[in-house]
Parts: sequence; C-alpha cells; structure tokens
Amino acid sequence: PSTHEVKRQRRAQKQVLARKPLEEQIRSEALKPVEGREHVSVQTELYLEEISDRIIEVDGECQTDEFLDRPPTPLFIPAKTGRDVATQIEEGELFDFDIEVKPMLEVLVGKTVEQALLEVMEEEELAQLWSHQRAFTELRNAEFAELQRLEEQDRRIREEKERRRLEHLEKLRKQKETAEKIAARAFAQRYLADLIPSVFNNLHDSGFFYDPIERDIETEFLPWLMSEVEETLQKKVLGRTMLDSLIRTVVEKRLDEFSHPPPSDQTEAPAEEPRATDAAPQVSGEADAADQPVTEE
Amino acid sequence: MAQPRISAYLPPDIDPTKAPLAFGRRALPKLNEELQSPELLTQQRALMALCDLVHDPEKVYQAIALGFLDSLKTLLVHQDQTVRQKTTEVLSIMALHSIGRQGLIRSGVISALAGLLDDPVDICRKNTHQTFDLLAKLPEGAGGVLQAGLIPPLVLKLKTELDEIQELILDSLSNCLRVEVSEALAAGAVSVLKEKLSHPSTAIRSKAAWVLLEISSHAEGKIVVCKEEVIPELVSLLEDTQPEVPVNTAGVLMFAIITPQGRSSAMGAEAVPPLLQLVAEETSKARLNAIKTLTLLAELPEGRRTLLDHRDTFVRCLDDPSEAVQRAADIAIAVIDWKP
Repeated sequence: PSTHEVKRQRRAQKQVLARKPLEEQIRSEALKPVEGREHVSVQTELYLEEISDRIIEVDGECQTDEFLDRPPTPLFIPAKTGRDVATQIEEGELFDFDIEVKPMLEVLVGKTVEQALLEVMEEEELAQLWSHQRAFTELRNAEFAELQRLEEQDRRIREEKERRRLEHLEKLRKQKETAEKIAARAFAQRYLADLIPSVFNNLHDSGFFYDPIERDIETEFLPWLMSEVEETLQKKVLGRTMLDSLIRTVVEKRLDEFSHPPPSDQTEAPAEEPRATDAAPQVSGEADAADQPVTEE
Repeated sequence: MAQPRISAYLPPDIDPTKAPLAFGRRALPKLNEELQSPELLTQQRALMALCDLVHDPEKVYQAIALGFLDSLKTLLVHQDQTVRQKTTEVLSIMALHSIGRQGLIRSGVISALAGLLDDPVDICRKNTHQTFDLLAKLPEGAGGVLQAGLIPPLVLKLKTELDEIQELILDSLSNCLRVEVSEALAAGAVSVLKEKLSHPSTAIRSKAAWVLLEISSHAEGKIVVCKEEVIPELVSLLEDTQPEVPVNTAGVLMFAIITPQGRSSAMGAEAVPPLLQLVAEETSKARLNAIKTLTLLAELPEGRRTLLDHRDTFVRCLDDPSEAVQRAADIAIAVIDWKP
C-alpha cells in the first residue's frame, strides 16, 4: 500500500472516530432539550450536501527530492583579529630528533635486552647446573653400584671362605677325635685283655664262682647234717649220762645195801664197784667207741 | 597549555600493583618496612616489587642481611592468599641462588614452610614444593628437610596431590633419600612409588624410578624393594618407549639386585633380554646402567651362560665415547669370562 492510501485510510479512521462520540451522545439522550425547545439536527454547511459516510476527499501529493548529500560547509575564514606576531626558529636551535633520541633509545633497549639476557642466563645457568649435576649423579650412581657389587662379591667370598674354613676345622677336629678314640680303644682293649682272666682268677680264688649245688650242700645240707649228728651224739651222751646216773644210783643203792651187809662183801663190793664202775665207763667207752665208727660210717 | 605531563596516558611501565621502589640502597629497607605495615594493599604491593627484585643475587644477599626472612616467615601464615602466594614465590626465587639457599636453611624457613603443605591454594603449594626441591639439592638442605620431619607428610602427599606438584615432591624426595632412608621406608614409600610406576605421565614414571634408585642404594632400602616385589614391575618398565624411563629403571635394578634375593627375582622376571636391548642401542643413556646391571646378573651361573652368547655386544660397547661406559664394559667382560 502506498503512502497515499495509508494516509488516507488513517485520516478516514480518525474522522470516524472523532464523530462517534458525538453521535452517541445525541442518541443517548443524555442531552435533553430544554423546555420549549427541541433538538433538531441542522445542516450548517454552507452548501447543502449529501450526508454520507463518504467524505469529500481531495488528494494532494508532495515529494521531496532525492536525498542529496549535505553540501560541504563553505570555508569559514573568520575575520582576522589580534596582532600579528612572528617567531623565527634559527638553524640549530631545534633539536635533531635522531641524535637526541639515540641515548634514550639506547638506555631503553639496553635495559630491556639486559633484563632479557639476565633471565635467559639465569635459566641457562640453571639448566647447565642441573645437567652437570645429573651427569655427575649418574656417574656417581654407577660407581656406587660398582662399589656395592664388589662389596657384595667380597662379602660372599669372605663368607664362603669362612664357612669352608670352619668346615675344615670341624673336619680336623673330628678326625683328631676319632684318632684319639681309636687309640684309646686299642689301648683299652689291650689293657683289658689281661684284665679279664686275672679278674676271673681272682674271683675264682676268692670263691665267688661256686657251683650252686655244692654251695647249697655246703650251706644247708651239711649244717643240717652236723646238727643232726650233734643231736644224735647228744642223745647218745644223754643216754650215756643217764646210764651213768642209773649205774651210779644202782651202785649207790648197792653200796647202801652192801654197807649194812657183812664186811667181807664190803671189800668185794667196793672192789667190785670200782671194777664195775671202771667196767661201766669202759663198757660205755667201748660202747661209745663201737658207736662212733657206726656213726662215722 | 603547558603541563608537566606530556600525554594523558600513564607511562607504559608503571605497574600499579607494585610498590614504587626507593632509590639505590634504600629500596630494600623501605620494602621491609612496607612488608610489616598493617595495611593489606601495602603488603601486597611490596611483595610484588620484592618478587621482581629478588632475581638479582646481590639483592638476595642484601635482603638476607637485612633480615627479610623473618618478616617473610610471619607473612607465610597470612590469611590473604595473594600474600601467601607471593611470599612463597619470593622464597622459591631466593632458593635459586646459593646465598639464598644458605640463608633459608639457616633461618629455619623449612619448618615454617611445612605448615603450608596443606594450603588450599594450588600455587602456594607448588611454590612451597619448589622451594623444598631447590633446598634439598644441597646436602645441608636435605638434612634440614629430614630434620624437620617432612618425609612422612611428603610421602602421604604423593598419593593425593596434582601431577605437577607430584613431580616436585618426587624430586625433593630423591635428593633427601640419598642421605637417609629409614623414615621414608617407615612411611611406606616403596608401595606408593610402586603405584606411581604405572602412572600415565612419563615424567612421574621416570622420577618415581629415580626415587626408587636412591632408596635402593641403601642396604635396608634394597631389602624392602625386594620384599615388596617391585622388581618384576621394573623389568616390565625397561621396555618403555620414552627414553628417560628405562635409564632410571636400569639404575634401580643396578642397585636392587646386589642382594642375592634381588638377583634371583630379576633372573626369574627375565630381565636379561630387555637389558641387552638397552645395551645394544648405541645412543641410549641407559647403556651405563644396563651394563652394570648385566654385570651383576653375570655373577649368577645361569646369567653367565646366557651372557656368554652375547659377549660381542659388550665388546662393541668398548667403542663408546664415554669413558665410564668403556670401563663398565671392561668389567662386564671380565665377569662374564671368569671361570670358577
């Protein structure tokens, strides 16, 4: 839609909007006519015209020219005021920039470069030191390892030697001990070889070796025998004693008997009695002697 | 209009975060006073300026003579993380110079830094570990670290820290363990290092092998290494593609198989073929260590038998430009040819 039409439509809308409230007011009866009067709608236009929605329109146009650039401002030269004063710079009063700037530039660049060099040198120095140190540590470690290896080897060899030496000593000691034992055994054997027979002989002589039966007989049988023999003999002796006593009593009795009787019997009787008493012991002696060989058999 | 300022822009090298330096000799004392001021911004600016100054060894000397280290020690426990970070940075740069190192050791900064091991900020921890690393390169520094009882915490940190920091820890551990190894063994360092041997990063693998080397150069370290059965893993690392790893691995083996158990486990893990390969490569740095390891293995009867076949590899090593390699090759040939 071109600008014309748009503008036209807008104008139309505005007028419609402007008219609306008035018409509404009229219709609404809020405006009541004063008494005796009447509201009449009157056309107040100069010319009667048809009341229509359509408004008389007239189109008019206007167009600016194409946009032109703002023309350059005209040179404004203000009017000259003040007094004229001139200065003149002679030769050699101005400084020569190149020459003057040189020392400053030197200082600036020099300082910067010096700073940079310092930093680089610092780093380089450090790097050199570390690499030097690193080489040294490697060498040191290698040598140290070698040292430890040799130490270890040495230790092993020494231990081995020590062990073998101890073994050897042990061996010698055992050998010596065995030799001594053998010598001692040989000597002892020889010594004891004579010992046994002599011991046995001694023992035999001192009666330690006995025939048990013989011993038995000797220790038990014979004493028993002797005691029995003694008993038997005692019995015999007792018998004889009894006999003696019997004879004695008999003889005494007879004596008594014969003491009263005549004296001729007395002499015979005592002569008989001594002969009888002599004969009695002789008889007993003979009986004894006869008994003994019997028992000794 | 004439003004003293030539242009509206500030000159390009004024850093507003740095404190302005006083002239000449007065610079450092003034910075020292600023460091002790109660205001945070002053302290931070002084620290920034100090960081730049400390690259110069003469300034380090002057700083230590003025007693900067005490004020820096107090600043180590500051709440602000920038202050802590810059302080640790200053200390780590100081440790780059020999005077700085000695000053740090003498003034007991090591124990003060020990408190920063658990700092939440990564950069602080990194600088701390860098300082330890640089200090441990000196024998007195290593002694100081050992005396401060830092080895067990460092070993524990190995398990949890970031990779970069782990590398620094491994470096410092390697230097400290060269001196004494019992504390680290008590803290279970060998098992931690065994895990690190299979880490994806090359640097960590090679440094872990280096630490194991230092551990196994001591007698009790050797025993623990053999017991924890690190040797089979090391043998598998000998075939690693990155060049630094086999160098250090061969070094560990060189020390670890001095003991008889180590030797038998190495033979059991078939260490001979990869070691022979390392020896055969002309330009390998691992040659020296590999030759030494093979010398040790040649003392075993079965090792000798295997190596008699490869005798000419060693003969070729006699032409190596490095004198140490030649000597090692000589010894190796002598051991191989030895008859009981």
